[in-house]
Amino acid sequence: MGFTETPRTAQAGTVESMDCLVTISASGERRQIEISGGGVSRFRAAMEQKINQVLDGLGSSENIAISVQDNGAVDTVLGARVEAAYLRFRGVIDA
Amino acid sequence: MRRTMLYLPGNNPNMLLRGHLFGADGLILDLEDAVSRSEKGPSRILVREILKHRDFDRCEITVRINGLDTEFWRDDLASVVPYGIHGIRVPKVETPQALKDIDDALSALESMSSVPVGATKVFCLLETALGIWNAYDIARASARVTAIIPGGEDLAADLRTSRSKDGTELDWARRMMVIAARAAGVDALDTAFPRIGDEEGLRRETEFAKQLGFDGKSVIHPNQIPIVHEIYDPTEAEIEKAKKIVQAATDAAAKGLGAVSVDGRMVDLPVVRRAEYTLERAGVITGRGR
Repeated sequence: MGFTETPRTAQAGTVESMDCLVTISASGERRQIEISGGGVSRFRAAMEQKINQVLDGLGSSENIAISVQDNGAVDTVLGARVEAAYLRFRGVIDA
Repeated sequence: MRRTMLYLPGNNPNMLLRGHLFGADGLILDLEDAVSRSEKGPSRILVREILKHRDFDRCEITVRINGLDTEFWRDDLASVVPYGIHGIRVPKVETPQALKDIDDALSALESMSSVPVGATKVFCLLETALGIWNAYDIARASARVTAIIPGGEDLAADLRTSRSKDGTELDWARRMMVIAARAAGVDALDTAFPRIGDEEGLRRETEFAKQLGFDGKSVIHPNQIPIVHEIYDPTEAEIEKAKKIVQAATDAAAKGLGAVSVDGRMVDLPVVRRAEYTLERAGVITGRGR
């Protein structure tokens, strides 16, 4: 695994049940988070916390926008999709 | 007990999270054929996180890694071995040397984590003519080998034929698998039945595999589980008869008698062993702990 050219936008996940689609793109501000989906009103704070935890754990300090289209993903799945999208954004894993 | 092992696509959270609810004896988290090349990385991350944080009840958990001829298998192992899986399924094993490579990689990962060295078992998929031919040597190549499994589609292709309804093309390979497995002291597990809606076909193939001596069967859909279990589970009459035989053998041994008689018929050692195996399958006595 090696770093390749950083794409402008990267995605991971799906819109299937119990999954979420995470899109990460370059942004003018540091780490903007946008979440949509059925359970967002109840779980927004926990989801934002999970997203920040994963990105902090990966050492992310870029100006990026994270968009999550949620369809009932538990935090384990959300974390995995954020990690995969970020690693794609950085070019560490295949897009 | 490995009556059924259910394949779960490694990039499908719904199946990965709910798979253990369907009652299979084991789950196979699949990083190989169920996952497209571009999804290998995300699937590895998803499976790793689910292994770290979720509970699978009493299911035996294995992960099917990508083949040793790919660039993926070492990363696959690194993603799952530290998190206490029971074993890995290795596709297209053809030679005993492959087990040496796997053994070394597993030992290195285990020694860097809290998993005891040697704890991760290996289930070998023999999906080519060469793999089938080397079945016994492969099964004996490492103490980690727990089961050998004949291929289905891949093996048929390698044999330059195709899957038929009656499975003629896999007949000899299946028989060879059971003999090699028994000689090596490992389980023989049958390949999955590919036609999901064909319950009669599944029933027929499972009965045939059981009669050959297979210990269980891979399944690719939850609906296949109860059918396979029904065929593998001993009936009440079989359990009662087995209890009688084992009790008679125990009584005879306590009295220092060699011969055992049950319902007026002499029973020899192989029959007693078979009765014990029936009781193991019924959960009446504990198995041999492979």
